[in-house]
Amino acid sequence: MTAPHVWRNVLRIALLLVVASFVLAPLWATVMGGFKTNPEIRTSAFALPDAWNTEFYGAILSDPSFWRYLGNSLLISSAAVVLTLIVGSAAAYVFAQIRFFGANFLFSYLLLGLMFPFATAILPLFIKVRDLGLLDTYWAVILPQTAFGLSLAILLFRTFFAQLPKELFEAAYIDGCGYVRFFIMFTLPLSTPILATVGVFVFVQSWNNFLLPLVVLNSREVFTWPLGMMQYRGEFVTQWNQTLAFVTLSLVPAVVFFLAAQKYIVAGLTGGAVKG
Amino acid sequence: MAEVRLENVTKAFGNLTVIPDLSLTVPDKSFTVLVGPSGCGKSTLLRLIAGLEKPTSGAIRIGGDDVTRAEPSKRGISMVFQSYALYPHMSVARNIDFGLRISNVPKEERERRLNEAARILALEDYLDRKPAELSGGQRQRVAIGRSIVRNPKVFLFDEPLSNLDAALRAQMRVELAELHQSIASTMIYVTHDQVEAMTLADQIVVMNKGRIEQIGTPMDLYDKPASVFVAGFIGSPKMNLMPGKAIGRPDIPTVGIRPEDVEVTEGDGWETKARVVETLGSDTIAHVRVEDVGEMTVRLPGHIRLNDGDRLKLRADPARQHHFDADGRRMEGQTA
Repeated sequence: MTAPHVWRNVLRIALLLVVASFVLAPLWATVMGGFKTNPEIRTSAFALPDAWNTEFYGAILSDPSFWRYLGNSLLISSAAVVLTLIVGSAAAYVFAQIRFFGANFLFSYLLLGLMFPFATAILPLFIKVRDLGLLDTYWAVILPQTAFGLSLAILLFRTFFAQLPKELFEAAYIDGCGYVRFFIMFTLPLSTPILATVGVFVFVQSWNNFLLPLVVLNSREVFTWPLGMMQYRGEFVTQWNQTLAFVTLSLVPAVVFFLAAQKYIVAGLTGGAVKG
Repeated sequence: MAEVRLENVTKAFGNLTVIPDLSLTVPDKSFTVLVGPSGCGKSTLLRLIAGLEKPTSGAIRIGGDDVTRAEPSKRGISMVFQSYALYPHMSVARNIDFGLRISNVPKEERERRLNEAARILALEDYLDRKPAELSGGQRQRVAIGRSIVRNPKVFLFDEPLSNLDAALRAQMRVELAELHQSIASTMIYVTHDQVEAMTLADQIVVMNKGRIEQIGTPMDLYDKPASVFVAGFIGSPKMNLMPGKAIGRPDIPTVGIRPEDVEVTEGDGWETKARVVETLGSDTIAHVRVEDVGEMTVRLPGHIRLNDGDRLKLRADPARQHHFDADGRRMEGQTA
């Protein structure tokens, strides 16, 4: 290795370390904050705790409402992922496979959703959800999140499906396999990378969403974890250590989900060549 | 009986007419090769027979049944694609018996046919592998195996060998010929390679711009090409086409002389100069320039040693010349 290479690598690694620290430092502070007392957080946010106080984590883990919030979030996010994958892939399959009158118009219409910020729609969304009588139910969060995830999902799915060789369908068609069966037996199994990518994206979006649940959910029974976190913010005092411990524990499922899907995402980036 | 008949079939994509009014009969149990330059409509014709495209007008019959509007799976055909189109996520065994599973063939029957196909194609050791773990030739055999197990009345091949290297292609050509002998079905084979056409076919259909130029046995086409197009397409190296005055017959618009019908002579003949000499061992192919006539390709016996730039005197066998009229059609009775 020559000297310029070494320097270039050092520079590259240094840059990556800086970028990584932007992500890792707050996470570190969050995890550590759960072990500290409130005054300690204020004075030394990033240091190791003086004493490892586990009672805040313990308090949260033993609090049944924490598990309820986590369960609600898990249910809502999973449902949003499943619905987005089913509806999005089915719609994208039609766009990729069948040419019909108005297909381009319809596709562009769906893509308009990409340019439509969630927050702008919050009032009409609330009214619609209320009119449908869904306020304070899981569906009030699941359905809008699915709807807003669809345009990106369809865009990604369609591109991926269109790359599957056309002859594959023709061969299966001659074997007696119709459109629907091809979708289930070929398109979906061959699309795991893109399914995982969209799945992670929708899951994390849904898991972290604060605004929509805040507006459409009122009773504690259906609260998601970002809403549940608010109970540690009193009128006068915020219990930072409990909040941070809560956040740390709430992050775990999203991280686990990402790690589980990561294998497929990486496979999608490196593999994908169909013809040998 | 699985004769394939196309009756006045036309096919247009929008304003573009790919096949204007074509009729063709492929006899039962024949190996018919559709051959022509790219874009001549041969693949479209095959896809029409397969049912992957619907004709704009006309009728298609397979074994006497009108299948013009029938689904591909109901036509009794199977197709081998250029890119093999193997199912990448399924094992070789699943690839081969997929069609049988779809049509709910009982398990014993399915396994019997799968093993039979694997035996014929020497794939027994590979049944559990995925397509990605196979070589090009093996993939091609899996694609053929997928066709065989369906017991089709008609096999369709769409340039199945063009992704293989030259040595493998020659080997697969022999295997395909053997396959046709062993399972006597009608086979329709599309290629742009006239060597494949000549070696495999009982019947060759030469196509150009969506029309049939000529139908016949390989030697018919070779000995009596019906048009300048066929003359130039069949045979390698290509037939020499030149104006009639080159042989002292200005009344003939075009005369064709195959490279192998030219010999070195001591008597009357063309004075030529070799531009490029290809020494193949068995033959020597010389690209020569003939004064007042132009370029010519000749195939000489291998024992004649030539160097680039050599001068030689050539004579064409008058009994083996092909005469074509101004429209490029063969002039009958003109060849001796």
